[in-house]
Amino acid sequence: MKRAILAIFVIGLFAVSGFAQTYTVASDTTWPPFEWADTEGNLLGFDLDVMRCIAVLQGFEIDIVSYDWDIIFDDVGIGRVDIGASGATITDERELKVDFSDPYWTSDQAVLIRVDSGLNIVTALSGGAVVGAQVETTGAGFVQGLIDEGIDVVLQEYSLYPLSVIDLINGNVDAVIQDEPASQASATAEDELTICGVIKTNENFGFFVAEGDPNGLLALLNDGVAQLKDLGVYDNLVRAYMGTDITKVEAAWKASIGLLNAGNVVDFAESMADLSN
Amino acid sequence: MNEYQSTSPGDIILKVEDLHKTYGDNHVLRGVSMQMKRGETKVVIGPSGTGKSTLLRCINQLSVPDSGRVWLGDKEITCPKENINCIRAEIGFVFQSFNLFTHLNALSNVRIGPMKVKRMKKDAATKLAMEELERVGLADKAEAYPAELSGGQQQRVSIARALAMFPQLMLFDEPTSALDPELIGEVLEVMVSLAKEGMTMLVVSHEMGFARSVSDEIIFMEGGNILEQGPPNEFFTAPKEERTREFLSKITELYGE
Amino acid sequence: MRSSLFFERYTLRMSTIWQSFQLMIVRGLPNTILLTLGLVVIGLVLGTLIAFAQVYGSRPLRWLCKIYEQVFRGIPILVLILIFHSGLARSFHILLPAFVSALIALALRSGAYQSQIFRGAIQSVPQGQMMAARALGMGKIKAIRYIILPQAFRLSLPPWANEFSSVLKDTSIASAISVLELTKQATLSYTRLSVVPGFGAKWTLVILLVLALIYLVLTYAGNAGLRFLEKRLRIPGFELKGKIER
Repeated sequence: MKRAILAIFVIGLFAVSGFAQTYTVASDTTWPPFEWADTEGNLLGFDLDVMRCIAVLQGFEIDIVSYDWDIIFDDVGIGRVDIGASGATITDERELKVDFSDPYWTSDQAVLIRVDSGLNIVTALSGGAVVGAQVETTGAGFVQGLIDEGIDVVLQEYSLYPLSVIDLINGNVDAVIQDEPASQASATAEDELTICGVIKTNENFGFFVAEGDPNGLLALLNDGVAQLKDLGVYDNLVRAYMGTDITKVEAAWKASIGLLNAGNVVDFAESMADLSN
Repeated sequence: MNEYQSTSPGDIILKVEDLHKTYGDNHVLRGVSMQMKRGETKVVIGPSGTGKSTLLRCINQLSVPDSGRVWLGDKEITCPKENINCIRAEIGFVFQSFNLFTHLNALSNVRIGPMKVKRMKKDAATKLAMEELERVGLADKAEAYPAELSGGQQQRVSIARALAMFPQLMLFDEPTSALDPELIGEVLEVMVSLAKEGMTMLVVSHEMGFARSVSDEIIFMEGGNILEQGPPNEFFTAPKEERTREFLSKITELYGE
Repeated sequence: MRSSLFFERYTLRMSTIWQSFQLMIVRGLPNTILLTLGLVVIGLVLGTLIAFAQVYGSRPLRWLCKIYEQVFRGIPILVLILIFHSGLARSFHILLPAFVSALIALALRSGAYQSQIFRGAIQSVPQGQMMAARALGMGKIKAIRYIILPQAFRLSLPPWANEFSSVLKDTSIASAISVLELTKQATLSYTRLSVVPGFGAKWTLVILLVLALIYLVLTYAGNAGLRFLEKRLRIPGFELKGKIER
């Protein structure tokens, strides 16, 4: 009798440890280079690969789902999804709904202009210039701040970033303000556009979880990021994703993901960096 | 529910006692009483709006009277305990505007009553329906839809539809008033043959010819009351009331004769 | 040299359009269709019940139906969806999957509109039909079932086709709560293409055009199907009120 109970207990232990914990990760996959969907439906991006690497290091599984920006904070906040990884700037307002990890990325805003417009960072943001930005982004907030201080600039908001870029190309707006990596991606893709300057806003991106961090994930995430930096994985991922040709990155990912699935975080990152550049 | 009750001729099929009905301010029926024996045909005439149609509708409770009682045979229709659907199945009603079921062809119109109300099987009901259509002379139009039939044909189908239920009593609410003159004849023909076959019929109509030739009694209504009633020959030749005479003279003007 | 480059570019662009189109159909279309059919059917059941309750029901019942109608026609679709998705979650800890939230919200709304259609149709059936049915001895329910309903149904078809077209497009709002349907899939495609060298933000318009075409085809197909149904059910000689609009 006692042996039977012991046997069951041991088997139970194995069974439990055999199943790694799976967490759902929500991400608004419409924002290269931080997160997007490729033509095969794979979800890639800097944020997502960082998450994947952390998961391997920390020993849990993740399930990434495409989410809409409008409800991502609400849903993570109430725990419908476990983690949010979506290029989210840490703000006080958002802190009310979710708990953020330590910053894992510092971003600045970049200003895109037409190559032939002759504007510079100052003229693009004053003198009656019309600046496009995505709604509810920190870029939009920055321009609004300028307006509040009395500077003569007009803010034109868009539900999605590409729409603002279209208007810039057409001449409907004079400049577009967006996080630096996204602006870089646009500048790379569009011959007619270039970045006229960078505004140091020192925004910090953080991963976020439900209020009160019920699953104790923040510690794991923070520690994970630290490890990635130590291992050089972080820098390699930056090299892979920032300012590179998106099609190269996608190809690199497909070639390298096997390494990550096998548990080899370092080689995965190296491979990504090499093949993307 | 009963099939056609076989009581002997001369029984009182319909009894109406002191019916009152008010629509809004309009006191349409002011205490109407009458009765009918099996096999009788009675025609109700009178000026418009005197409650003739209302009387018919109060009999089968399409309009519920405010007070008064109605019997069909020995069942009191107005008693709340009576199942009104069962009663209605034994009273045939022919409307001025035919009211054929527009989504069904003639045959289906006639057989739906027996099928759905009397739960007859489809084959038996179809056979019965064809017989009734034959009886009104429209067997060849069985597949036609109401919209494809003339007014006179539609009304005949509606008579067949009522007959298929083997009613004890048939009520006709101005059956020819909505018809073009040349179509009236075919409907009256059917009604005449029905009367001759011994159907108990209460008809509201302006057709004096029909009233004269086939009815056992004419009932003249005015102002919500039965002013005068009597067998046709007496009625038309020697009306007792002043108003009756007035009305009759106007009618003769209109219809000639 | 120039022409071969042009040709290369052309095929690349064509294949990209084709690829995006395929993605929309394969990934996005199933949910769009499921949502549309699901909500239309649920809305139909709801709408029919409410319509009958409003025409034949008791006073308190009619009053309840009126409230239902006003509420679900008066609230913007997105708000309704968010109530079921986020509202229920926040206030009552009821977590519905996104698809379900969208389905319920859209179905309730469609039910309100459809009940109007059916109510109109029922009231269009001439009073005499009910009278004749009852004169034969049919009870109210039998009369409704065999006489009123078949006619009301036929009368409903033209306005119902409009409702169908309308809700098909409404399903795109579900993308706001991350239901992967046509519009959402299109969004994933064009946000990616905007940063692919050789394409760029302008391609947003190309993708949106493809998306619009898909919706057009779906709407047309739906309407064509309903027109076919209308023809099959046409009663000889009986003109339906108005034809089915394109």
